[in-house]
Amino acid sequence: MNALSALGEGIARVTRAPLILAGVWTLTFLVTLPLALGLRGMIADHLGSSLSADQAAAGVNLEWMQEFREQASGLGVTLRPTVVGAGAVLDNFSAFLDNTSRPVVIVGAAVAYMMFWLFLAGGIIDRYARDRATGAHGFFSACGVFFFRFLRLSALQWLVYMFLFRRLLEWLLDGLYPRMIHDVSVERTAFFARATMYLVFGVVFAACNLIFDYAKVRAVVEDRQSMLGAIAAAVGFIRRNYASAVGLFVVDSLAFAAVVAVYILAAPGVGGAGISMWMAFFAGQLYVAARLWVKLVFWASETALFQSRLAHAGYVARPLPAWPDSPTAEAIRTLG
Amino acid sequence: MRWTLTLAAALVLACATRPAAQNAAGGTLDPPRSPRNASYTIAAKLDPSTHTIRGTETIAWRNVSTTTATELQFHLYWNAWKSDRSTFMRERALAGGGGAVLDADRSRIDVTAIRMGGAELTGSQRFVAPDDGNDADQTVMAVPLPRPIGPGGTAAIDITWTAHIPRTFARTGVIGSFYFIAQWFPKLGVLQDQGWNCHQFHASTEFFSDYGSYDVSLTVPRGWMVGATGVERDRRDAEDVTTHHYYQDDVHDFAWTTSPDLVERIAQFTHPSLPPVTMRLLLQPEHLAQADRHFDATRTTLKYYGEWYGPYPYGHITIVDPAFQSGAGGMEYPTLFTAGTRWLSPRLVSRPEGVTVHEAGHQFWYGIVGNNEFEDAWMDEGFNQFSTARALAASNTPDFYEQRFFGGFVPWTFGDMPLSRSVDENGLASYRSSAKRDAQSTPSFRYYPATAGGITYSKTALWLNTLERWLGWPALQRIMAAHFAKWQFAHPKPQDFFDIANANAARDLTPFFDQVYRSSNVFDYGVQDLRGAGGSVDAQQRTTVVVRRVGEAIFPVDVVTTFADGEQVVEHWDGADRWKAFVYDRPSRAVSAEVDPDRVLLLDVNRTNNSRTTRPQGPRAATKWSLKWMVWLQDCLLSWAALV
Repeated sequence: MNALSALGEGIARVTRAPLILAGVWTLTFLVTLPLALGLRGMIADHLGSSLSADQAAAGVNLEWMQEFREQASGLGVTLRPTVVGAGAVLDNFSAFLDNTSRPVVIVGAAVAYMMFWLFLAGGIIDRYARDRATGAHGFFSACGVFFFRFLRLSALQWLVYMFLFRRLLEWLLDGLYPRMIHDVSVERTAFFARATMYLVFGVVFAACNLIFDYAKVRAVVEDRQSMLGAIAAAVGFIRRNYASAVGLFVVDSLAFAAVVAVYILAAPGVGGAGISMWMAFFAGQLYVAARLWVKLVFWASETALFQSRLAHAGYVARPLPAWPDSPTAEAIRTLG
Repeated sequence: MRWTLTLAAALVLACATRPAAQNAAGGTLDPPRSPRNASYTIAAKLDPSTHTIRGTETIAWRNVSTTTATELQFHLYWNAWKSDRSTFMRERALAGGGGAVLDADRSRIDVTAIRMGGAELTGSQRFVAPDDGNDADQTVMAVPLPRPIGPGGTAAIDITWTAHIPRTFARTGVIGSFYFIAQWFPKLGVLQDQGWNCHQFHASTEFFSDYGSYDVSLTVPRGWMVGATGVERDRRDAEDVTTHHYYQDDVHDFAWTTSPDLVERIAQFTHPSLPPVTMRLLLQPEHLAQADRHFDATRTTLKYYGEWYGPYPYGHITIVDPAFQSGAGGMEYPTLFTAGTRWLSPRLVSRPEGVTVHEAGHQFWYGIVGNNEFEDAWMDEGFNQFSTARALAASNTPDFYEQRFFGGFVPWTFGDMPLSRSVDENGLASYRSSAKRDAQSTPSFRYYPATAGGITYSKTALWLNTLERWLGWPALQRIMAAHFAKWQFAHPKPQDFFDIANANAARDLTPFFDQVYRSSNVFDYGVQDLRGAGGSVDAQQRTTVVVRRVGEAIFPVDVVTTFADGEQVVEHWDGADRWKAFVYDRPSRAVSAEVDPDRVLLLDVNRTNNSRTTRPQGPRAATKWSLKWMVWLQDCLLSWAALV
């Protein structure tokens, strides 16, 4: 299986398990909903029965938005014109690459969201590896089995990412880049210098991402207990299958870029507060779903590639758990 | 016959209304427009290898005050960046701006010789700090005179100096091979009746000096482009250098730029009733596609400022597009200014238009009307901010909300978020954030350093625009044109403007100026209550509207109440009391009440509380914006999820 056929197989596996996509979309929705409701309350309180709301509802009222942000704290300060349409994507992507800090409440939500993903990762990869329905008990059993393993893995993973963002990226953007452009008087030159910094960071980040992805895949497929061993095995696999593994990562990344590009081009603008508001929200949710789909395709295609090289499709070392298998359930059965 | 007469009349009118532009040729203005009491003849040579300028100057000075001078005071602005102990650097640190400065990037002006007539004054100079007594500040040099110079007396002072060019700092210096050289020579302060007005260099204020003629020879490497205040009269090559000779009458400063990379473009400004102006644009090669945008913006300025206030008399103007990272952008000098743009600059965003109009506009408010920028910076910056916003609106220059991403390199324009003249271009947000920090009457150099933008620029623009809405543009234009006419090539003080305003407004505006100029109080009016009584008598519904003055400042405002049947009642409230109630008995209930519905008072810092309605759209607006924000948050979380 080469990179393209692994991508195709990954897409097929994600398509054959639509509940996973629905589940992670629901998770994303539910994590953000309380915060959105909180912000809604803040906005409604600030606008009260003011006529300023008419303009804010019908289009954009930049003056009100400035007033609101100036009087707000926490979540409120993040309501900026850039939340609209494509601006939201660029804002977040730029903040990610420029290492821009976010308010504590956003960081808190992000950490909670990551923990949910960490919990679900084992179940998701297990489902894609088996490529057959495992039922809720099978899915969540895998989630539970691998959560603590992945927690150990993530300890190392996040140390690495912390190093990348806190050391490498800061050094690239705040150390090397300023020195490189210290005497540069042509903006294009500086732009390409900065783009180079992003590229360097992106390559290193992608390499780490690739290793940790395959570590998870190998941990699930081979039922590995040792996460250090899984990382070593992932590195070994990538080294031996360099072209396919990297090629697959590239095509997956291209799929990600395509989704982002389409949304940037098609994202709705400010709009009104009627049906267009819901249409815009629906378009946003389609985009979110597409982003989630790409993330799932990454894992599914990497799983497919690994299985095609070192195992066979659908192979998972750990047997599917029988349900119910708890001592209590067994005791109840014995009573009968 | 009638046609012939009309044509003849038009020709006569055209000749009569075109001031003698030919006088501007060669930088001369005849007759003199200013006292020309501080004229400089300068010869300077740039050494790019050492980043130094060696210069000699002869100052022809005349005492136009009523006091006798016993010493001369000079600005040595570049000494502000000699050490971190200067007043400029201390204020910069207080404002939280800038990081550490490398020694190689610092600057200074070393005065090596001072002579007056036959008297050798070298060594008698000392540094003084009239503003804060800071012993470490060396931006003002005092030189005792060998003999006092009384009113009307003259002196010729010869000075030799070496200026060490900084890496661009406060809009002057060098980056790569781009030099922008301003505040670079020993420059006399202004002797007033009260004595020398020669302030130290401060982090948030600019300059002040007398008018004169500048005759300047600049020697730079051969092949380098030069742009400078005035007109280039001749050019002499010698081996590997070229000397450019510039001249200009009736200006109060001289700045110049040189670089081997600048590209020159020339265009003309013509107008039926204003003198023609040759526009010379020195452009960075990467901005060649934006040449017309610079010219159009400069034309906009010359046209509207010329029509509104008075003609631009010099006949030529130089626009410098500064190099990336030069920090030299957005600054005004006589007959020359720096604009500022980006490599990627979308058409829907007013860059370079905004900065170009603003800096070109300073030719009028700063260049021609020469107020003291140390003390009353609002008189040029604020007038100009107001005029810039007005000119951009008059010329229909598009301006939409823009955000720049990825280190500021990649612009994104929000095409459905137009910026408004009244709020965005005037800078309400900037004013709001610093509204109470300083009264505008505080000398500008004593403002809290981070305050200057909001109080100097935005507050003035907002109160001028408020005056425009209150009195009408014809009245405000009459005021500003009268001020321009009376104080061109002179140094007005705030009271001079207030006197002209009162005389031309046909009403006493002193209470208004007391609020906006002499106080840091803020304006904030609101509707506290909009209440309908439950029952009705004779089919009449009772409505009570309570309006409140939340801020300390006072301004007369209208209160409009709208009823369900479409009837509107407008009340005029002097705005003095803390609150006022209006009670109505009408056939239908009131649906809304609004203070200042026409938005006359642009200084109101809280517009949201200005109105109430019984049909609030707040919940719908809140739903809409929280849904948009939710998608942003989901996207944000998805970015973080890449770490799992």
